[in-house]
Amino acid sequence: MIAGSVAASLVLASPPARGWLESSMSAQMLLQLPLLAAIGVCSASAIPAAVRGALARWDRWGISGLLLASMTSLVWMLPRALDAAVDDVGVAAAKYATVPLLIGLPLALSWGRAGFVLRGVFLAETIATCFRLGWLYRVSPERLCSNYLLDDQQRLGDWLMVIGAALFLALMGKLLLGRFDFRTDAQAQEGRH
Amino acid sequence: MAALTMYPESERLSAGERAAFNLYMISAVILFVLMMLLGVIMRMAQGTWLEVPPDLFYQFLSMHGAGMVGTMGMVTTAVMWFFLRKYVNLHLWAFVANYVLFLLGALCIIGAIFLGRYAGLWTFLYPLPTHSMGMWPNASGAWFMIGYLLIGVGMLLFYLDAAAGLIRKYGNLGRSLGVQWLFGGTIDPEHPKAVVASTMVIIANSLGILAGAVVLVMYLVGIAYPEFKLDPLVAKNLTYWFGHMYINATIYMGVIAVYELLARYSGRPYAISRPFLWSWAASTIFVIIVFPHHLLMDYAQPRWVSITGQIISYSAGFPVFLVTVWGALANIHRSGMRWTMPSRLLILSMFGWAAGILPAILDGTISINRVMHNTQWVPGHFHFYLLLGVLPMALALMYHVMGSYRNQAPNSGADRLGLPLYLLGGLVFTLAFLAAGHLSVARRMSSHLPEWVFTDQMGAAGAILVLLAMIYFAARISIGLLRGPVSGHAAHAAA
Repeated sequence: MIAGSVAASLVLASPPARGWLESSMSAQMLLQLPLLAAIGVCSASAIPAAVRGALARWDRWGISGLLLASMTSLVWMLPRALDAAVDDVGVAAAKYATVPLLIGLPLALSWGRAGFVLRGVFLAETIATCFRLGWLYRVSPERLCSNYLLDDQQRLGDWLMVIGAALFLALMGKLLLGRFDFRTDAQAQEGRH
Repeated sequence: MAALTMYPESERLSAGERAAFNLYMISAVILFVLMMLLGVIMRMAQGTWLEVPPDLFYQFLSMHGAGMVGTMGMVTTAVMWFFLRKYVNLHLWAFVANYVLFLLGALCIIGAIFLGRYAGLWTFLYPLPTHSMGMWPNASGAWFMIGYLLIGVGMLLFYLDAAAGLIRKYGNLGRSLGVQWLFGGTIDPEHPKAVVASTMVIIANSLGILAGAVVLVMYLVGIAYPEFKLDPLVAKNLTYWFGHMYINATIYMGVIAVYELLARYSGRPYAISRPFLWSWAASTIFVIIVFPHHLLMDYAQPRWVSITGQIISYSAGFPVFLVTVWGALANIHRSGMRWTMPSRLLILSMFGWAAGILPAILDGTISINRVMHNTQWVPGHFHFYLLLGVLPMALALMYHVMGSYRNQAPNSGADRLGLPLYLLGGLVFTLAFLAAGHLSVARRMSSHLPEWVFTDQMGAAGAILVLLAMIYFAARISIGLLRGPVSGHAAHAAA
């Protein structure tokens, strides 16, 4: 799995793939970053049990991991960071390292430890962030990235609104009509009493 | 039947729960007294009995609005928690976290107003929080909004914990709302009304909080990045979605006290029914989309939105109101009701809700709204149902819990005097607002024309009576709750 993750990272870092994925603001934010995070998620199964156990002690109820993923995501949502990752190879390297390791991996490790409330807060904030960023990108009168044009920025805003709405509808559908399995977070719930 | 046991064991408060419950309730009654004092000062200033500079008046109005709405939200959350915890597993940490975040939010709001001179009112309209024309710095507007965000996050934590409890027990929120029985099937007679009402509030108010979380942060972005301009109409829609939903939720959380307690005092079961489930299911949808009735004077709003606002405002609260009031009247009719403070307050709350909703529905009619919306008719309607409807629901629970500590419902002579005083003051106060609306007295104005002063003075007199009664209630309830259960007498609170 580690080999697969490294290979996938190398493919994404190859000049043709990188050139295409960074050719527009929408592609970088909605394809490249999620793909890098997915590599981190897939790598989680390769973490040895001993390391997982050690990490779990620092990640009670999944709070630390989800906080780390949120804070790192915050950095890579900033237009300045997206811009710098195109212009500066050092920032690009940081992106290729931090998005899988500090977003994808902690998400995979912490999600199962998180209880209903923490997951709910995380998802609600994700939906709200999609709407906020989408709104900001749609109506900002200026280009926020020097590498991308205003129409690209506005298109990204539209996509973020659509993604926020889709996430919201999926979450509402699940809450109102879905099935839930609380066994996965039973341990976390135990810890709350 | 458990519902007819006056003080059931399942409502027993452990030491930690009692401490949290007392924090909520005692903080609430103290805050109500303080906010009412601000209200009295404002009405006296409008009535020319007091001199209050306009800038201070608008600070008071901002504090009174935000403080009353927030406190009403806090106290009715405690009502919901008190009863819902009997049916599903709620975690005390979530209830306490909501309280702590409420207090932090309140501190931000108080600081923004009295240190930062914020005076843009509780439902600020864009671009007001940040374009004060020099009246207050942008930082004050920011702190005010951060206060709202903290209060919203606290309530969301509580709702998520409650949702987890409901889903664990019933499978999903649809089933806890009772949608599986809407079109047929045998309704489980033990399905608690408190569960149905709580589910509705969780769904509807979480959406309002989400809308608030989006628009408030965008206001903050506007402070950091002034070139970024919000569409004022979108910002107003989202602000009202959040604010209107939040204050509406207080009725639906408070009414749980009526569902749970009325049958015990009437001695007659208050059964769940299909119309009851239909009304709550319908209101779950309608109450989310009813807020455009506050935007009927925004002529840039698409016409269909305004028409929807009118139609939905007729149907949003009406089904629940109808089944609740009808159900309550049928329940107490010839029941040999035990008239003590909790039961009196419960019936008062039904009257306040019923009478308060009528001016609201009138104002939700476009042709009437065009004439009445910027008049004191509007504060008349919401003061009516909050002061005489929602607050008595919460007071009824407080008195009921005090009764549980002595195994006897409170009904002292002072209580019997305090309640009519509260009712009389409340009627004079709210009818003065409605009469002023009828006379086209503008709302949200610090200085009034001489022709308007009579209704202001009537309102101030009523408000003073309400304040006196509330001071008594606050002292009585604080002492009663702090004393705690008497060993050997307490039916459920001896932990």
